[in-house]
Amino acid sequence: MKKILTLFSLFLITGTLVMAQTVQIMGTVTSSEDGLPLPGVTIFVKGTTLGTLTAADGKYFLSVPVTAKTMVVSYIGFKTQDISIEGRTKIDIVLALDVFKVDEVVVVGYGVQKKREVTGAISTVKGDALANLATPSFDAALAGRSAGVQVTTQSGVLGVAPRFRIRGVGSISSGTYPLVVVDGVPIFTGDQGGQANTNALGDINPADIESMEILKDGSGTAIYGSRAANGVVLITTKRGSGGKFHVNYNNYFGIASPVRLFDLLHSADFVTISNEKRSNRGQANWASNDGAAYPGRVFDTDWQRAVLKTNAKQQDHNLSFSGSTDKSTYYFSLGYTQQEGVTIPNEMKRYSFRGNADQKIKKWLTVGASISVTKNELFGLNTGTNSLSGNIFSAIRQLPNTPIYNSADPTGYNLEPGANLVGKWNNATTIGDNLPNIVYTLKNNVQTSKVFHTISDIYAQFFILPSLNFKTQMGVDNSSTEGFLYWNPIHGDGKSSLGLVYNDYRNQLRWNLQNILSYNKTFASSHNVGLVLVNEFQSQRVNSFYGQGTNLSNEFFNQNLISGTYGIQTSGGSLAENGFTSYAGRLNYNFKGKYFLQGSVRYDGISSLPLKNRYGTFPGISVGWTVSKESFMEALSQVISDLKLRASYAKVGNVDIGNYPYLGLYGSAKYADYNGIGYSQAGNDQLKWEISTKYDAGFDILLFDGKYKFTFDYFMNNQDGLILAAPTPPSLGIPLNSINKNIGSMKNWGYELSAEAYIIRGNDFNWSVDGNITFAGNKVDALYNNLDMIYNYTIIRVGQSYRAIYGYDYVGVNSANGNPMYRKADGQIVQANIPTSTYVNYDPNNQTNVSVPAGQLGNADKKILGSSLPTYFGAISTKASYKGFDLNVMFRFSGGNMIMNRTRMDLLNQNFTNNSTEILGRWKDENNPGDGWTPKLWAAGGNFVNLSDQASTRWVEKGNFIKLSTFTIGYSLPKEILRKLNIESLRIFAQGQDMFMITPYKGIDPEMEIDGTDYNGTPLQRVITFGINLGL
Amino acid sequence: MKKIFSDQTLTKKLVLIPVFILVLLIGSCKKIIDLSPYNNISETAAYSTPSLVDLSVVGMYNGAERGYYPANGTGRGYPFGAAFVEQGDCRGEDAVNLQAFYQFTYEGTYTTSTANNEAYWSDTYRLINRCNMVIDGVNSAIANKVITETVGNQYLGEAYFMRAISHLELLFHFARPYKETSDASHPGVPYRTKAYTTQVAIDDGTTQSRNTVAECYAKILDDLNFAETNLPGKSLRAGNLKIVRATKGAAIAYKTRVYQQMWDWNNVVIEAQKLAALPAADGYSLTATPDGPFTSNYANNESIFSIENSASNNPTTNGSLPQMYNGHGRALVCISPIIWRNPSWLADDKRRGATMTYTFTGMVFSEKYKDVVNFTDAAPVIRYAEVLLNLAEAYARRGNAGDATLALNTLNLVRNRALATPATQAYTAASFADNTALINAILVERRIEFCMEGRRWPDIHRLMLDIPAKLSNSNPPASAFTLGTPYNGPYGVVSVPYANYKFLWPIPQIEINANPTLAAEQNPGW
Repeated sequence: MKKILTLFSLFLITGTLVMAQTVQIMGTVTSSEDGLPLPGVTIFVKGTTLGTLTAADGKYFLSVPVTAKTMVVSYIGFKTQDISIEGRTKIDIVLALDVFKVDEVVVVGYGVQKKREVTGAISTVKGDALANLATPSFDAALAGRSAGVQVTTQSGVLGVAPRFRIRGVGSISSGTYPLVVVDGVPIFTGDQGGQANTNALGDINPADIESMEILKDGSGTAIYGSRAANGVVLITTKRGSGGKFHVNYNNYFGIASPVRLFDLLHSADFVTISNEKRSNRGQANWASNDGAAYPGRVFDTDWQRAVLKTNAKQQDHNLSFSGSTDKSTYYFSLGYTQQEGVTIPNEMKRYSFRGNADQKIKKWLTVGASISVTKNELFGLNTGTNSLSGNIFSAIRQLPNTPIYNSADPTGYNLEPGANLVGKWNNATTIGDNLPNIVYTLKNNVQTSKVFHTISDIYAQFFILPSLNFKTQMGVDNSSTEGFLYWNPIHGDGKSSLGLVYNDYRNQLRWNLQNILSYNKTFASSHNVGLVLVNEFQSQRVNSFYGQGTNLSNEFFNQNLISGTYGIQTSGGSLAENGFTSYAGRLNYNFKGKYFLQGSVRYDGISSLPLKNRYGTFPGISVGWTVSKESFMEALSQVISDLKLRASYAKVGNVDIGNYPYLGLYGSAKYADYNGIGYSQAGNDQLKWEISTKYDAGFDILLFDGKYKFTFDYFMNNQDGLILAAPTPPSLGIPLNSINKNIGSMKNWGYELSAEAYIIRGNDFNWSVDGNITFAGNKVDALYNNLDMIYNYTIIRVGQSYRAIYGYDYVGVNSANGNPMYRKADGQIVQANIPTSTYVNYDPNNQTNVSVPAGQLGNADKKILGSSLPTYFGAISTKASYKGFDLNVMFRFSGGNMIMNRTRMDLLNQNFTNNSTEILGRWKDENNPGDGWTPKLWAAGGNFVNLSDQASTRWVEKGNFIKLSTFTIGYSLPKEILRKLNIESLRIFAQGQDMFMITPYKGIDPEMEIDGTDYNGTPLQRVITFGINLGL
Repeated sequence: MKKIFSDQTLTKKLVLIPVFILVLLIGSCKKIIDLSPYNNISETAAYSTPSLVDLSVVGMYNGAERGYYPANGTGRGYPFGAAFVEQGDCRGEDAVNLQAFYQFTYEGTYTTSTANNEAYWSDTYRLINRCNMVIDGVNSAIANKVITETVGNQYLGEAYFMRAISHLELLFHFARPYKETSDASHPGVPYRTKAYTTQVAIDDGTTQSRNTVAECYAKILDDLNFAETNLPGKSLRAGNLKIVRATKGAAIAYKTRVYQQMWDWNNVVIEAQKLAALPAADGYSLTATPDGPFTSNYANNESIFSIENSASNNPTTNGSLPQMYNGHGRALVCISPIIWRNPSWLADDKRRGATMTYTFTGMVFSEKYKDVVNFTDAAPVIRYAEVLLNLAEAYARRGNAGDATLALNTLNLVRNRALATPATQAYTAASFADNTALINAILVERRIEFCMEGRRWPDIHRLMLDIPAKLSNSNPPASAFTLGTPYNGPYGVVSVPYANYKFLWPIPQIEINANPTLAAEQNPGW
């Protein structure tokens, strides 16, 4: 529309030329960034309608009246400049980049807004910040990019979706993932089924992303009504632009390795420790490094390194074609990424295609369509934290004095003859915990997911009046996942069932239809009014089925279900639907760009709720005041370039509550092979929406002509009516011992501060620093009957933060006898008397006395050991460039949380399995009391000695860290050379991710906690990559 | 510009198109959100046809077979599909737990949040609620003429039977034995007879206190008597169903177990005789050899009630009996040298034979549960041999004239079939110095006959014994299994006195958290 107006005024201009006394001015407009000419720059004579546009080579000719004094030069993305004519006829103009882009347009729900008119808390992340990062999915790379947004990669396994929290934990029982909208289409998030982890967002090629807007507060999210409780992420993909044809090719090659490894015992110490466990109990030795079975063949095997890869190869290629004319735009891209994970045999191969085109058919009609097609192949593994073939569970337990391989065994592996165990080698007994040879199982069992995922949309936009347009859009998100599982019959999980093959298929289909009517008009040149009316329908259907065969005829048949090759066959499947209908409206008003008011309301109906509560209304309101435009601020305008105050309020909902949470249901319940049905879900016809009330107040300020920029927000989200699986007494026999009720309430609040500073801006050298920090709090306000919800290591309790760490107060080891000691609620110190597995009082004056019985450690003796949620987090990053070189460094930090290091407990188990070197600090006798923290060893006594499955201060550690999240150094070839080579741009770069970390945490990485517990997770990856960005 | 927008017709069209689309969509909007499930049947429809009523009754047995084990979201055989055997054995001294699986139970290190105990409590009550829902549902189906009263009463008999045996199972672990107080007025468990499906019912149920042990036993007997009256004899059932669904015989047999717990010997005798008096087609007999109930566990005349498992539906590799117990499977629990070397178990006893035990890496495992691949072995809940040994003990303890001979003869019925040469090895009156020796022989015979069938704990419980010292929780050396002398150490797990709080399992924390009434009635010491 703007363009039409411009052209129209140019037409008027030419008509008046002959009338006045004129001077011809000519020149070239170039960019301060790279000195290249800028086409399409608007040049007007100030105070008139006279003007022109620069040509493709940046040149312009403009006839101006002799009286004209000033030209106004403006171009999108650059700062508008006033140029004094001063009688010159040749004026070359260098336009400076507008680094803070106050005129920038941001994507909001169902439309766009000028950034200066936004009254909400929206963070924008540019796609190019993430495009070259080696991550399995773009969402992982959002960590640290924006205040209030916490993205945590918790596992080094490719395909596992990171935890994504916008302004805290949005719910207790329902979904907490934000709504993700790609080019207007709300898409599936989370796992998509199959037998290896699949993250739906991992199917999006990061290189196709132009920008992401994260809507954090009520102002931005209210228009999404029932889906907005966890925030909204709007993704805009790349489209053709600039009137030119572009070809881009990017790649990287990299190597990934675990960020840290466990300190496990080597053979010599292992034998000492194992036999001490036994001798303390008066039992015969377990371990031996040499013996009759394999004389002289002593091993010191690092099983951990056999399972984890320190040289996982990763590569990525991306090729795109794009272009535009005045009537059309198009963009096509092809991507291929292949990443090996740090744990065998984890791997991901993604093939992606994306295409979009927009065509202006008539002056009043534009149509467009886009499609992305992704094939994502994931090779997974058993990562069960308590599974015999779980990669870490098993690797940290395998005996170091046994070999992985044994050529004497038909399989070539060290297996115990006749048993489903790793071979004991020269040890007196076989491994504890019943473990198979983990290398064998990881290499022979197969777990894969092959996802075929298309996201497409088609739209038509009608320009009915200059101020009024109507858009209708249909979007479809469809993914089908084929899963495959194979358990080898020789050894491991498949041995008992003589092998297992399992194929499954899951199809997720969602269609979404939107009609959007937009109206924008300025009245009396001061009253700017915008109105958006939306009507949206969505329907989704998820179905799956599987076939399984056990008792395989031969391990040959291990690629797929092959008819007739197994003894026992089973199959199954399921189908579920949900849908919603909505009507929404948003009204924006501002007076002279100074006072802003926005109100929106949405009316949603959702299939997941009982009839009487099926519809809900979600209002939002926000205000803004650009203080810097007031006359009283003029005196400060040299310092304060721009200052805007904002405030917002909204009520939004959470639809991620399952498909039929309100119904009382009977599900299939077979007895042996007889068909049956049984009570499977308790109904509640009173069920309602979860409501999140969001408050936000903040300001944006630009100082010294935009050299410094600060954004501050205070936020509070009150989640009310949280649907809780309210615990019912198990003795009533309600399925899953719970009933869904709207009874929870929780609060998230905090402060967010973002700052950017362009410290040096020059032709050759540029340096900027930016950072963000969030201080966040969380408090549970209400639960079902305000009863604690207690988990093994955490608790949800009224008045505490969500999932606070909950356990016993460990006070160390009784130096007289090696018993672990705890402080009970009444302050009495008790010792866990290892030989009798009973608790007895501790008397500091008579340490050896174990004759005074004490009560069992009970829940009354547990206390809150800290918050599992970080109380602060953020990032600081710096960018510098000198001539062709660029440097980009980002540090991320987080802290204030405590972590139950359950892995550490596993590493100190008392069975015949390996331990970490921490166990060397154990109590040996009164004269060798060890580190005072690690009790006496006691074979098979781990449950009691370590208080398994319970948290205690023995294992709870601080989760603070600061890590070098990304480090990039690049070099772009100079323009002169490029011109000779006839290419547009060429940059080579090297990058490191997660290069180092400072933390007091003793585990692999404090970000590996899940609900406050670090439990046998796969180490995160450190990646070093090299690559090129080529533009033709 | 004017031209573009001044065309009124065009503008009208442009406005009409979207309006048209809107109208179309509003028409279909109700369909978008008016959905009902495909995977599940509404509770209001579950008893609306004869077929659905039948499915709901079968689903009750599913609750007995699989249970729900929260740790991995699948069933591990709580309570009757496997767990009652595993927990019953691992609480006693006649099994050795080799790995971590039953360690809490075996070593007595359980707490209020131990998963096994939680599952035992929770899954048993889950089954009880299914029983009560079936009772309500069947009664309404009879009232609504969906099914006939004859058919309905059989269903009701099954539900009353399952409700009774479930509560009995809970009393074994969570309440002190019947004889703890003279009138059994000490706390039992809440005896649930209402279906809980609504919030109102839940609130009501949460106020229910523990019934006394006496009340619980009275209700168990009421339920079993109702079941006996309404259940068909096994001759009216076909195939596996003779054994794997409740029958009149099962109700009677169970009463011998209940009265035995109550030390009501006269009634044990009465019920056992009643069972023997059933018509032949409905009656039971010992199989020819002691492995009979296990080699053919769904078709023999000795198994009275068992829970069926199938290849596609069973307590899984983490719970099924053959996986846990069989030396060819995961071999997590072996027979203890304590019973293996008991002199009363003769070296050539058939119950040591290759069809019943298997020695692997020096340890002796039970071979009673054989299908280590598909886990299809039945869980033997009650069999005729038990009724006979219950009867033998009842005679011996009742002490009426002639009872000693009856006791000896009844004991020999069970024992003689296992002996290599009964003619010389069988017990005679001269084998026992006194009646106590006879009773002890019967009690030992139970340990041998029901070795690895989970019966050890209910015996320790009713006999009010200390939990005996056990071998340590690890692989015993092969030498520990050498026959010839009784096993007398080393013991790695110390005895727990009868009076100790650990004799009982605590009411699980998940119950305490959600139920203020029971929170105030926790077992002492926990």
